Order: sequence, then structure tokens, then C-alpha cells
Amino acid sequence: MDKNEASILGGITLDKGAFASVRDTEGWEVACKRDKIIDGRNQRMKVTLKAALVCTTAMFATAAAAETMTIGITQNNVGVDSYQTTYERAFIAAAEANPDVEAVVLDAGGDVARQIAQMEDLIQQEVDAIIIWPTNGEAVIPAVRKAHNAGIPVIVTNSNIAEQGFDFVASFSGPDNITQGARAAEIMCDKFKDMGIEAEARVVQISGQPGYTTAIERQKGFDDRLPEVCPNVTLVETQPGDWNREKSQQVMEAFLVKYDDIDGVYAGDDNMGVGALNAAKAAGREGIIFVGATNFAVGYDAMAAGDYWGSIYQSPVDDAEAALKTAIDILNGEELPFLNYFDTPKITQDNMDEFTKPVF
Amino acid sequence: MTRARYRDALKHGAIWAFILVELAFFSIAGEYLSVSDKAFMDFDNMLLLLKQSAPIGIIALGMTIIMINGNIDLSVGATYALSAIVLLDSMTWPALQAMGDWAIPLAWGLALMTGAVLGAINGLIVWKTGVDAFIVTLGSMLGYRGLVFMINGEQPTSHLNWTLVDFAEAQFLGLHTATWFLLLTALALWLMMTRTVHGRNAYAIGNNREAAVNAGIRVGPHMMWNFVLIGFLAALSAVVFYSESGSVNPNDGMLFELWAVTAVVLGGTKLTGGYGSIISTLGGVIAIQLLRKGLGHIGAATETVNLVIGLILIAVLLLDRQLNRKGKEELKI
Repeated sequence: MDKNEASILGGITLDKGAFASVRDTEGWEVACKRDKIIDGRNQRMKVTLKAALVCTTAMFATAAAAETMTIGITQNNVGVDSYQTTYERAFIAAAEANPDVEAVVLDAGGDVARQIAQMEDLIQQEVDAIIIWPTNGEAVIPAVRKAHNAGIPVIVTNSNIAEQGFDFVASFSGPDNITQGARAAEIMCDKFKDMGIEAEARVVQISGQPGYTTAIERQKGFDDRLPEVCPNVTLVETQPGDWNREKSQQVMEAFLVKYDDIDGVYAGDDNMGVGALNAAKAAGREGIIFVGATNFAVGYDAMAAGDYWGSIYQSPVDDAEAALKTAIDILNGEELPFLNYFDTPKITQDNMDEFTKPVF
Repeated sequence: MTRARYRDALKHGAIWAFILVELAFFSIAGEYLSVSDKAFMDFDNMLLLLKQSAPIGIIALGMTIIMINGNIDLSVGATYALSAIVLLDSMTWPALQAMGDWAIPLAWGLALMTGAVLGAINGLIVWKTGVDAFIVTLGSMLGYRGLVFMINGEQPTSHLNWTLVDFAEAQFLGLHTATWFLLLTALALWLMMTRTVHGRNAYAIGNNREAAVNAGIRVGPHMMWNFVLIGFLAALSAVVFYSESGSVNPNDGMLFELWAVTAVVLGGTKLTGGYGSIISTLGGVIAIQLLRKGLGHIGAATETVNLVIGLILIAVLLLDRQLNRKGKEELKI
């Protein structure tokens, strides 16, 4: 009771004496120092009150992790698709559920310049860790280095930055896009084998937004794996659908005009896959096998309806929670693998009842 | 006469008053809403603000002159991307790679030249065909963007040169490299618009093109030089920005034309031409960046930025209209 009172007083009045009297609790001292209570320059009511609260909590929890961490995140382009929208919602929910975390949630709107500015702002605000969903895997490297040099650990989420920047990154948290592409190739090949057309099948590919590492990796995984499992299947052409359903529909319309014989369509995600499916339906072309690299609700429904064959189950909720957890673990000083993947299983019409419908 | 001057001062001052309001608002709101312990008005934060204003700012400064002319340039975003590709790609050419770090100034030169040439193409078409600049640059916006995709493919063009990054991240007298480019461009253009014949002609042409022709101003070449200038400035903006980031997505710079026009209009330049100021555009650019930064600081959703800027833009236009109408009524009496 005495200590408790003293700490509140200490917090508000900056009474050095009161500080000294309760120094015996380790956690308390750390928490208060972190909030810069002792440093009289930044003394503002809000800060001191917050700090006082932290101090009192720490009194009861002693040396446990009662330290508030401020974690900033700059996302790629939240409004552009349902995956990113759900990711943001899940991230905010996860951060709110954790009393030790305060989150600064930013969105770059797909603009590299704005993302770099947001990185600079987060460094300026002296957050404890930065999570970045890069708009361009290379352009953000200098900004990541800046954070690294300022002593702020950077966690890359969802799609990794280029290798030159690895030295400045604390950890990557996200799906293994190459494996996703490879697994999509396996799903498609297995289906062709069931149908007995693995010797002559022709496939077209609709890739994601150009310049985006996820798009490049999902394409690479598929391109590399397909000849290994089905050496006689030909990949006829690849065109970008920009993660956009309408654009993919147009791309598929062009493919259908160009090629009379298409047996399979591989799309970088179900959003684009369903766009392609709509084009095929409109043109009255049947028997085409559609496979995506990330399962969306639209893809799940199309699978249930029997129009769409399979995809890879990747939850944006898992993705967001994994990113936040990675950041927290790093701040707590835990050892993590550099590439901290979460698992993304195959989903097809055969096993789809094992999975709940994606919320996005 | 004094009334007119008073009105002018009000119009020029409005943007700076607005900036002060923003600063005050975000400082106070930040106290309660920001999770950061640092004040919004922190000196380093203000330096960053200037730096972050540079990419759109340098373009907007050039856009002011184009708009004072009564024209518009929608192709700046594509010119920006194309110059960036030339900058980064040229450094990977064997001939330039052999030169070591001396390749950097050469790559800059090539990028700036690209911008100037692209601007000259716009200017020449406007001059020789007499087609409205809006249509011409709408075409070249699409055309130049097409070129970007043809050269670049769908993948980003990248070349990370740490010497270049270190230069771009450097701070001289406290100001970042990008800030220096922004301020020097503003100074040069302000001198041009207020102290030279070319500048005065720009206002004359925007005010009344017929009268300018009758007064013996060669309107065509004049406009062409301004298009060369904005092409050059779009490239300069790319040079400054991509020196620091080293990778260009094929769709980078999209919508930059609209942000630049927004900044110019916020600064009080008339869409119909004949009226405007470089310094006020600088204010417009800072106001936009301040909004983006401030809303991030207080934790507002990023989408609100566009909504707020849109509302303010309409308010500025209404205010401008109101002030002008008053002026005309006074003349009648």
C-alpha cells in the first residue's frame, strides 16, 4: 500500500525521493524508465499518468512482463482487397487483446514514397518495433536500414524484402509463397492425373501485381514445381491480373480467344481465379481446372459449387497474429528463425469440409 | 488598389494560416490520441516533413507555372516513373558500371535529360497542333506509362547503390538532401516567376492569350519551354527520391499528377491561369504532407486523409470564388 501510493505520487510529481524509496522492484524501474518519466523534458500529463499506471501494475506483477511495447505497422494497401482488410482488422484486434501492446497502424496505400515516409515517422516516434508489409521488396531497404540503425527491430510481414536487406531485418513472418505456388502445381498435377490428361494438358497462369514479391514467388513456385511433377504439361502463357478480379477476367477473356485448348488455370489468388472462372463461364468453356494460391471466400464458394478445383488455405488472421507475435517475441529477446513461416495447407473440393470458409 | 492588395494577401496567407491550424490541431490532438511520447511539433519531425514533401513538391512547383500558363500536365507521374527507370537501369549498363561512382552523375544526367525530352514532346505537340494541353498530356500520360511497362516489363527495375543512398540520406546544415532540392527548386522558380521576362510572360499568357499574342509574346515556344521545365522537374523529383530507394515499380508515380494539381490549387493558383504563386504552392504541398503525417500521428485511418483533403480543396475553391466575386461587384459600383 505504501509503495503503491508512493509510485503514483512519484509518477505524477516526479519526486526523486519517492523514486528512490521503491527502487527494490525490478520491473517497476524498467517500466518507468522506458516511459521517460525521469527525463523531465517530455513530461506531459498523459505520459506521466500512463507511466504511473504501468508502475502500479508492475508493483503487483513484479518482474513479469508488465512493460508496454509500442509496435508500429505500415501496411501495403489495405483497401485494395479483402485479404489486406481482414489482416488489418485481425491485427488491431490482436493488439487490443494484448494489454502490453500499443499499436500504431498505418497504411501506405500502395505508394512506396508514402511507405518510406511512414517508416521515417515511426522511427521518429521512437516505437519499440516496426512491422512492415513492403510495397516494393527493394525500395524499402534503405528505410529498413534506417530503422535498424536507430536500434528499432524491423519485422517484415506477409511478403519478404530482397536479400540485400536481410541484414537489417530482425525476422520475417508470413506464408511461404514459393511452397504455396509449388503446392498449387501439385494440386493441379494430381487432378490432371486423375483425369488422365497429364500427358497433354495445357495451362495458363494469371499472376499477381507486378513488382510484388508475393506475386513473383507464387509464380516461381508454380513454374519450378509443375515440370517436376508433371513434365508433359505445358504452361502456355502468364499474364498479370494485379490481384484484381475484373482485370483477371479480362486477361482470361483474351486467353480464351487466343487458345482453343486450355485445361487448367493457375491464379495467384482465388480473387483472380474466380475472375478467370467468370470469363470461362461467360464464354461457355467447360472442363477447365481452376487452382488458386490463396483461398478466398469466393473461391471456397465456387469450390462448394463444383466450379473451382482447389487452392491453398492461408488465413490473414493467422498472418496478422503471427506478425504481432513475432514482434513481441523479438522484443522479449527470444530466439526466432529468420524466416518464421506459418503453415498453409492444400485445400480442394475433396477435403474442403475440414476447413471453415475464409472470412475474406 | 489597397483593397486588391489586401485580398491578395488574404489569398496568399490563407494556406499558411491553414498550416498553422493543422500544426496546432495535431499538436493538441496528439497529446491525447498519439501513443508516441514525442511531440508532433518536434524539430526533427518538422525536418522530416519537408523531406517527405519533396517528391510531389518538386513536381507541384513546376505544375504551378504550367497552370499559371492556363495549361495542365497530367503526364508528370509517368515521366517520373520513366526517368526513375533510366536512372536505375543506366547504372547497371556495363559502360557506366566500369566508371564506378562516377556513373552516378552521369545516370542523373541521363534521367534528367529523359524528363526534359518527354516534356519537350508534350510541349511541341501543344505548340504545333494547338490541341488543349489537357488532352495532349492525357494521351502522353497513357503513352509514357505504356513505355514504362514496355521497358520495365512487369517487374520492378532495381539498383541499390549504397553511395547514392548515403548521399540521399545525408543532412547538410540539418536539412536532408531532398529538402535542399525542394527549397532550391522553389527559390529558382520563384526568382524566375517574379524577376524575369519569362515569368511575367507566363502570367500574361494565362490571363489573356490573345492579348499576349498581340503584345508580341511568342506563346508557342514559351509554353514549350515550360513543358520542358516540368518534364525536367518530374525527372529531378525521381532522381531525388530514387537515389534513396533504389527500386521502381512500374506503377510508381501514378496519381502524382493529381496530388501535384491538388497542392497547386490549395496554394491558390487559378485553374484558368493567370494567377498563382510558387511560394503558396510550397505551402499547399506542406499542407498535404502535414495532413498525412498528422492523421498518422493521432492514429486516424489512412483513408481519412483523402476525405479531409477533398473537403479542404472544395472549401478553398469556394473561398477563392467568394473573394473574386466580391472583387467584381466592387468594380461595377
